[in-house]
Amino acid sequence: MSLRITTLTPEVEADAVMAALGNVIDPELGIDVVNLGLVYELNIVGSDVSVEMTLTTPGCPLHASIGEDVRRHVGAVPGIGDVNLEIVWDPPWTPDQMTDVARRFLGWL
Amino acid sequence: MIPAPGVTGPPSALPLAGVFGGALALLAAGVALLLRPSVLVGYHGSGPFLALTHTFTLGFVTLVFVGTLQQLLPVLLVTDLALPRLGYLTQPMLALGALGVVLGFALGFRPVLLAAGATLVVVALWLAMLQAYLSARRSPKRDAAAKGLVVSTLYLAITVTLGLLLAGSRQQAWLAQLVGYPVRLHLAVGLAGAFLLGIATAGQRLLAMFALAKKLRTWRLRTITALVHAGLATELLAVVSALPLGWLAWSLIAAASAVQLLEVAALLKVRLRKRLEAPIQRYLVAHAFLPLAGVLALLGHPAPAAVAMLLGFVGIAVSGMLVKIASFLAWLARSRSASGAPALLKELMWPELERPTTVALTLGTLAVIGAMLWRSVPFATAAAWLLTFGALLQAVQVGHILFAPVAAAAAPSKPAPVAAAAPSEPTQGASSPVAASTSSGTHPPPATPAPERITRR
Repeated sequence: MSLRITTLTPEVEADAVMAALGNVIDPELGIDVVNLGLVYELNIVGSDVSVEMTLTTPGCPLHASIGEDVRRHVGAVPGIGDVNLEIVWDPPWTPDQMTDVARRFLGWL
Repeated sequence: MIPAPGVTGPPSALPLAGVFGGALALLAAGVALLLRPSVLVGYHGSGPFLALTHTFTLGFVTLVFVGTLQQLLPVLLVTDLALPRLGYLTQPMLALGALGVVLGFALGFRPVLLAAGATLVVVALWLAMLQAYLSARRSPKRDAAAKGLVVSTLYLAITVTLGLLLAGSRQQAWLAQLVGYPVRLHLAVGLAGAFLLGIATAGQRLLAMFALAKKLRTWRLRTITALVHAGLATELLAVVSALPLGWLAWSLIAAASAVQLLEVAALLKVRLRKRLEAPIQRYLVAHAFLPLAGVLALLGHPAPAAVAMLLGFVGIAVSGMLVKIASFLAWLARSRSASGAPALLKELMWPELERPTTVALTLGTLAVIGAMLWRSVPFATAAAWLLTFGALLQAVQVGHILFAPVAAAAAPSKPAPVAAAAPSEPTQGASSPVAASTSSGTHPPPATPAPERITRR
């Protein structure tokens, strides 16, 4: 599933939010959630941001801490308002969603 | 949408206590063997031998199983535990009961200690079963792995109940007349129903998670479960009817073990994480003991075969996964604390300990098998030293994961590096190891994720 970014009269740059999401690391794999392909959707309405993302494994015990990291890092972007995060399991994550960077990091390229 | 788990999960201290207690029990078993290695070459129904085996099965494997169950159930069932704080009751009961059983055997079949200890263990495990059942009932996702884990918990509860009956039969003639001495059934249900099935089901999900294997097929897991059920039903029939069906029961269990090997091979084939961490490698090494157990059984050595399966397969597999699970739990606990957690789970581990642990436990198990095959005291002594060394390294590793100070990951910088975020390279400038590797020249620049953008102004 490709990443979908929607903005409506945005007061923050989508790229700044994506850069902040790039700082959220899966502590088991050591790869950020963007390169893992875990972020499905980013909506920016004014200064408020909604992130829809998944995790590599349903029921992953890291759910809460990764969610907190997303809120913490995105919330640190200047000018940001509310940060809403939704973890979804449908569609489930597949390795096809990883970037080549992540594949290379895992030793497959 | 499946409800998000983890919000009201069990306190991390509960599974961590199970893992740490289990590691200490393994060390205690090693030290006990070191004090009296000749126990391996003596009568296998003796008090000291049974004390040793129950330190391992109840103290190490079951304590780790029940502790980690509180984390594995939410992961496999994708729901919160029905009774998140039940572990505060079950784990001390289990630890105390295991101690009673071990002391009961070690002090020469003390009936009061055995009865009291076994009763505590039985109650603790039926409560754990209740936890698994109630949690499964509220789960929207009950796949083969989740069902298998619940069933293996049921078999574990049945195993210790059979153990209690055994202890009772030794003391009460009427009970002995009623149920006999179900030693074989106790062994079969424990080895195949609780441990083989438990490792196959939990291991499938954990190995897939740690090796990043996707597109799992469930038919092998369903086959393992069916074969274990069939094997245990056949063994029960053999015990009840006195028909010579034991060979068929163990053939079915051997077939289940063979399918488990296929399952692990299939998972490795589709894994995305090429380089596996040392604890996962240990989990894989454990599987080499399954065919060895089969060969030993075929050659007419049931006791060494049982050791290969119990100490080799179960013990080493649990020892490997225990380190990963402890890292996970400790990382989660630290991330919730004021001091914070390191960036990566593996930073909690002491990596140099892992390979020597694998080598010591593997060679130690082979030495136990050798000691039993050839009634060799030198082999038994070597086994005692190797296993104690491996268990000591394991305990130090778990202690290190739980208690060693590790620098927490840095908090996000303010303001965020907007300028560093090139539109086509969203992760450039990030502090992830991927980005770090990229900037150091280890990897070429990141591929561009191609987001679909819709902007309305």
